[in-house]
Amino acid sequence: MLLCDFHIHTSYSDGSVDLRRTIDLFGQAGFDVIAITDHVVNEETPHGKIANRFGFSVREDNFSAYLNHIREEAKRAWDKYGLLVLPGVEITKSSLSSDQSAHVLLIDIKTFVSATWDFEKIFLEAKKQDALIIACHPHHSSQLMVIDTLFLWNNREKYARYIDAWEIANRDDVFNVISLKRYPYIAGSDFHRARHLYSWKTMLNCEKEIGAIKQCIRYNRGVAITLFRNGVPF
Amino acid sequence: MEIFWILSGVTILGLVGFGLQIFAVCSYLKTNQSPGRGRDSIETFPPISILKPLSGLDDNLFDNLESFCRQDYPKYDILCSIQDPNDPAYRVVEKVKNRFPDKGISILVERCNEGLNPKVNNMLPAYRHARYPYILISDSNVMVERDYLRKNIRFMDDPNIGLVTNLIRGVRAKTIGSLFENLHLNSFILGNVCFLKKFLDIPCVVGKSMLMRRSDLEAIGGLKAFKDVLAEDHFIGEKIRERGQQVILSNHMIGNVNEYWGVKRFFNRHLRWGKMRWKILGYKYVTELIGNPVLLSLSSLFFEGPSKRALLFIASVGLVKSVGDFYMGQKINAQLHPLAYVLSPLKDLLMGFVWFMSIANDTVVWRGKRYLIGENTVLFPCPQKGIWTWRYRLLDRIRVRTA
Repeated sequence: MLLCDFHIHTSYSDGSVDLRRTIDLFGQAGFDVIAITDHVVNEETPHGKIANRFGFSVREDNFSAYLNHIREEAKRAWDKYGLLVLPGVEITKSSLSSDQSAHVLLIDIKTFVSATWDFEKIFLEAKKQDALIIACHPHHSSQLMVIDTLFLWNNREKYARYIDAWEIANRDDVFNVISLKRYPYIAGSDFHRARHLYSWKTMLNCEKEIGAIKQCIRYNRGVAITLFRNGVPF
Repeated sequence: MEIFWILSGVTILGLVGFGLQIFAVCSYLKTNQSPGRGRDSIETFPPISILKPLSGLDDNLFDNLESFCRQDYPKYDILCSIQDPNDPAYRVVEKVKNRFPDKGISILVERCNEGLNPKVNNMLPAYRHARYPYILISDSNVMVERDYLRKNIRFMDDPNIGLVTNLIRGVRAKTIGSLFENLHLNSFILGNVCFLKKFLDIPCVVGKSMLMRRSDLEAIGGLKAFKDVLAEDHFIGEKIRERGQQVILSNHMIGNVNEYWGVKRFFNRHLRWGKMRWKILGYKYVTELIGNPVLLSLSSLFFEGPSKRALLFIASVGLVKSVGDFYMGQKINAQLHPLAYVLSPLKDLLMGFVWFMSIANDTVVWRGKRYLIGENTVLFPCPQKGIWTWRYRLLDRIRVRTA
């Protein structure tokens, strides 16, 4: 089975590890598939303005450089580690209210998608690009100092039809509501620091090829989650 | 007043020792070790079985293993031994094996509980499968140059040489914990190893790289003879010397890659190593305290208070230590940013604390298991009942609750 992580941030947004080192970290650890999903923030909110001001977000003007850099590194990762690297973003709509906040991963996108758009427009654009749409950390998280992102879960009747999978586990949290609703699921690390390598991951039983991976997630067959922990080195 | 001068004297003695360590490192690196009679053709090099005990993901594991697959050496095999098929290292070795199918990599998954030393337990199945006359024990966190095997095997032309070990340097620190680790490896460990060899002719065996003849290892009881000691590397070297053979410390440096360590891991490793040295050296272990001038200089604060003189003295010693470590780092190409050496005195203070901790009790935690250490680092299982159990259960419970 393929060991995968579809939720990774680098220093292009608020991650502490740069893209090359991030890819090396996952390659050295024997991963098969990863998606780089740096934040694209809603710059119309004070939250987003601050993030943009301090460079914690991918913007429209550096999006193609971001994508090209990922492609360049993806080639190196494939040649060296046999690691498939997918380009993506995390659409970040944050507000002070957890009921109004939502984060969505768009994996394998080709052109910029703005976080200022409404969700319907974002999802339709992502579908047009044949990107995977994943609702991340959709329920109450155990992390202190973090505002929960409950908007999509609270409005699931409206939006679930657009969403390819829901994050059932994020870093150390597990959201059992996803399994109760029988939604398609994946798990991701929400990687920001090197130590986040050891967290919930997705295992896929399919070919190491983008089409097969998308199909596997969308149809939710051959998907498993695992809590990736290190042994104790000598 | 007198105490300040006594402490200053001892600190200066420590600084002199530190100076001698720097001298030993520089001169040892310059030593022209021209072993063996030289070989005309690469085909005449004997085959080697490399034992790689694996447990968990070391930093840079893929590249470390790959560096062994790229050796400029005619015939060798790599026996990677893992205790648990679910160990994350398994996937990495498998990938490396697929990338280098012709390099004779074997993955041996076998749970072995013959002894108490987990590393020896891990190596025993690989040792049984080793088929070549030379055995190289190599840790998974080392990265080597292409000529590593060739340079080391040349020593073995001399039948009086029983074991070849290497100098190590810590490289690629990216977190504060790994920075401390690499600073310590590149100053204290390297300095002492070279000092002991240069001035006292005592070769320290570094378990990260040990090349032996299989016949010699068999003659001292094989790996099994060291299954219940913590410092298996040290005692293999001792036994080889008792047989009248030499232990060679090659000045060909190997890299110990420590990239993403936390401070806790750094602390735990050196606590274990400290306890090991305490059990081997006995009262001589006090010399390590004298070899920590930063800690000694700081102790003047307790007796003198924060006087101008004491603070100036502490700052001067810290500066000398940082500059000395920087110089040594440059000599060994440690790949550390010059500003990283500012942390050197802080690291020494932490190590002073580790020194006291290591003599405080006789238990050691290794790979999640707790052991009692006896004389000569002989391991005993930690008692499962009585006060011991409750003490550690309570500590573990507090740790889990506060996580």
